[in-house]
Amino acid sequence: MMDSITQKAGIIAAAAFGVVLVSSAGYSSVSAQGLPEGFKKGELAAEPSAEMIEAGKRVYFTKCVWCHGVDGAGDGPGADRLWPRPRNFNQGTFKIRHTASGELPLFDAKKPIPGQNDLFETVTHGLPGSAMPPWEGILSEEQRQQVLSFVTTQLVKDRKFTDKQSESQTVLQLADLKPKPATDESRKRGGELIVEKKCVECHGMEGRGDGNAFNLKDDWGFSIQPANWHKCWNFRGSRQDPYNVSNIFRTFSTGVNGTPMPSFADNTTVDERWDIANFVNSLCERDPLGNPLPIDPLTDKPKINFVIPSDMVEGEIPTDLENEAWKKAPKRYVAMGGQITHKPRNFVNRLDDIWVRSLYNDKYIVYLLEWDDRTKSVAEGKLPWAPTQVNIDIKEQDPKTGEEGSIAAQQNNYAVYNDAIAIETAVKWKELPAPIKPRYLFGTNEQFPMDIVKWEADGSLRAFKGTGWDKDFEERDNYEEAMKLLKAEWLNGRWYVMIQRPVGNKKDQDYDEDTFFEVGQYIPTVFFAWDGHNGDAGRKMAVSAFYYTFMNPPVPQETYIYPVVIAVGVVLLEGWVLTRRSNKKRGKTL
Amino acid sequence: MKALMSLGALIGVAGLLLLGGMFFDIVPSTTVRLVEGYMPIQLLLEVACYVIGFTGLSYMMNAMGMALPRFWQGIGFWVFLMVYLKYRVYPPIPFSVRAMYGTVGLVTVFMWISANEEDWTKFKQPILNVLDAQTGGKRLLRYLYLVLLPILIGGFSFNAMMPKSEEPIELRTVHPAPPASTKVHGKTYTLQTSQNPYRVNPEGKYDQEFSNANIVEQGMGRLMKPNANPWDDKNQGYLKYVREGGEIFFQNCHFCHGDNLNGRGLHAFAFNPIPANFTDPGTIAQLQETFIFWRVSKGGIGLPNEGFPWASVMPPWEQHLTVDEIWKVVLFEYWHTGYYPRTWD
Repeated sequence: MMDSITQKAGIIAAAAFGVVLVSSAGYSSVSAQGLPEGFKKGELAAEPSAEMIEAGKRVYFTKCVWCHGVDGAGDGPGADRLWPRPRNFNQGTFKIRHTASGELPLFDAKKPIPGQNDLFETVTHGLPGSAMPPWEGILSEEQRQQVLSFVTTQLVKDRKFTDKQSESQTVLQLADLKPKPATDESRKRGGELIVEKKCVECHGMEGRGDGNAFNLKDDWGFSIQPANWHKCWNFRGSRQDPYNVSNIFRTFSTGVNGTPMPSFADNTTVDERWDIANFVNSLCERDPLGNPLPIDPLTDKPKINFVIPSDMVEGEIPTDLENEAWKKAPKRYVAMGGQITHKPRNFVNRLDDIWVRSLYNDKYIVYLLEWDDRTKSVAEGKLPWAPTQVNIDIKEQDPKTGEEGSIAAQQNNYAVYNDAIAIETAVKWKELPAPIKPRYLFGTNEQFPMDIVKWEADGSLRAFKGTGWDKDFEERDNYEEAMKLLKAEWLNGRWYVMIQRPVGNKKDQDYDEDTFFEVGQYIPTVFFAWDGHNGDAGRKMAVSAFYYTFMNPPVPQETYIYPVVIAVGVVLLEGWVLTRRSNKKRGKTL
Repeated sequence: MKALMSLGALIGVAGLLLLGGMFFDIVPSTTVRLVEGYMPIQLLLEVACYVIGFTGLSYMMNAMGMALPRFWQGIGFWVFLMVYLKYRVYPPIPFSVRAMYGTVGLVTVFMWISANEEDWTKFKQPILNVLDAQTGGKRLLRYLYLVLLPILIGGFSFNAMMPKSEEPIELRTVHPAPPASTKVHGKTYTLQTSQNPYRVNPEGKYDQEFSNANIVEQGMGRLMKPNANPWDDKNQGYLKYVREGGEIFFQNCHFCHGDNLNGRGLHAFAFNPIPANFTDPGTIAQLQETFIFWRVSKGGIGLPNEGFPWASVMPPWEQHLTVDEIWKVVLFEYWHTGYYPRTWD
């Protein structure tokens, strides 16, 4: 809060005295009126009508109160199991705006126009990466305006949207600013600027949000983490259009109120801001051709392909990530959710995706798992229970509507356990009789168990057997020699782990406990992940849905022969039809 | 008649322009939204509108002397159907299902164009013309077909034979038959006779009429009735328990089933299939309250064998919630979606 107030004061002072601030680089970033470049003075909107406010109350108490609370203090019944926590409206602090740092966001109950109504857009598109969903299609445009009328007049208590004495609007003219083409040069300059402007101090050297992940707090004292630039679909201000560079430009120009993210409007020129935005945008995950990933409109996350293809290599499987075989291997996005079905439950899940590649040869299959984790965690504390245990008798925090002792308040204060990852595959997946599918998490029963391979950040690679939904894992001590850890490295907020295991055969392996990987077959595969600094251990973890490992078979010869045969057949058929037609016309019959 | 047909033509042109615009991203694809829960009926209505539009359009073109040959009408309509199914319907329909619809559509189109001898001859004529190739243009077309057809068919079959890794399709039973009774926390509940103990009026009597009068209103937004705010401290009976159920829902269930009970919660994106959407008229609106009680208590693991495959990670909530809490959550779900639970009679 202090930061934003000083900045606001700075803007006002500049306006009053017409002082031209000169940034460290020597560019003038402040226009003649004393406003930062790209900004213009705006008018405060009129107060919404009493009917709008009254109607909005009805919307609020049907839809919003459950998280944001009766008084809008962000303390509804759902609040304590959420992180990031729901917004506390009382102070009038809103993150995503077109207005200068510290100012109230744009809101006009009569103008639901994109770019001119920040709060309306937030409600419409939601805040990805948090529990706030897009309300478009659920609430009508009018209902969204009504509820905002209620929130801005009744629940924002410390400030007043219509008070000309205390409030001002300095509006970023985003519609008039043409994005700078994302040329290599622009991106290169952006890459230099993020170091110069100290962005990397919080966002990390590779922009994975791992810079200062531990000491940052929001205005209410809750821990907060810098954005991971590689997951643009989680940007709060992405407005369901994550690869749009203007969103980054806006956030960078206006800052994020209530958080340590300041506005850079005063010490960068518009041109520099476009360079930075272009660079940040270029970091977001893309497909091998450099195109944006397709985003699923139902979830606002990358579309999921549930098949993990594994390519064959001759001889040794390379361990070097730069190797051609790994570069060519298709990379799959595996979505992760919190395990909230068994105690200890993981409501606050911090690992929301893993990228998986796989290669195999005649003896082994290798999984390369990459995932972003802001912290490298190697166990400090000792787990109070065995990590293989399920449904342990622990007291869960009361989801009480207060701030002391809540899950969100505990964030970053957990005893540190190991970061870890596990691959779970079905044993005897081919024989499962129709009604029995490997049950979602930990295997079906004794007869059809799951084969679990787990790596932990202390360097261990162990095998377990899962025999049922709520059974403890059984440790398998004779399988470790068969597996091999090819790589485990944490670098700038990302883990790179490569696990090798045998494809298996009936001769050497235990048919009742090992998964046999067969070429050209769909092998049910599940992934688990743990973030040690999030207190993840045992069943407090992130889980994926069922994916399928598919070892691509070599292309059979028939694939090249039959199509030619068919084409020749078609030519013959054509000849027959033509002859018949011309014969018929000449009055002959065959 | 003429006015009616002109109107039809107008609808047809407007509809085609809109679809084309949405297809090529000129008009935002959200112009005509598919509203959750009303999608099937909306799609049927849309297709009906298009059929009316096309009829009018064809009539108008006839009247203006620009009649489109039957041949192209038939092909055009079938192509329209396929494009519509592929690009308009969301979530996307798998190819196998689209192929089924396409075949049915093709048969229908054939029935339509071969309804009488005259139409059938008209339909055949362009094909025969190309075969006979009496003009230069037709001859060129014939040679093009002769060369392209084998290449195309050969190419398709090569594509079909290349080993592919597409996600195997699994169908699942949505509403498996419930058991006659279920035992939760040591007490047996007969599904046919059990009642939600919190569906009560302020006097504490089971009162379905009272609760039905206080659920949220159907229609856009599904908002609460103006005088039935569960957050009113003076509430007794039904609405008080709705609020308590809501508190439990937003501490346990919304992570998957979503803030609006539409199956789009914070963690929902990671699951396949995504969690149940209670606002869809095909889920809780079709079921008895005791069925939901059984499903919530026993979770995905409690599904009977007929309910395979168990692609459900829903936990048996009896491990986390008391019987009272489960009943309250069920109460809240019906309140928030504005559906009445089905009764046994």
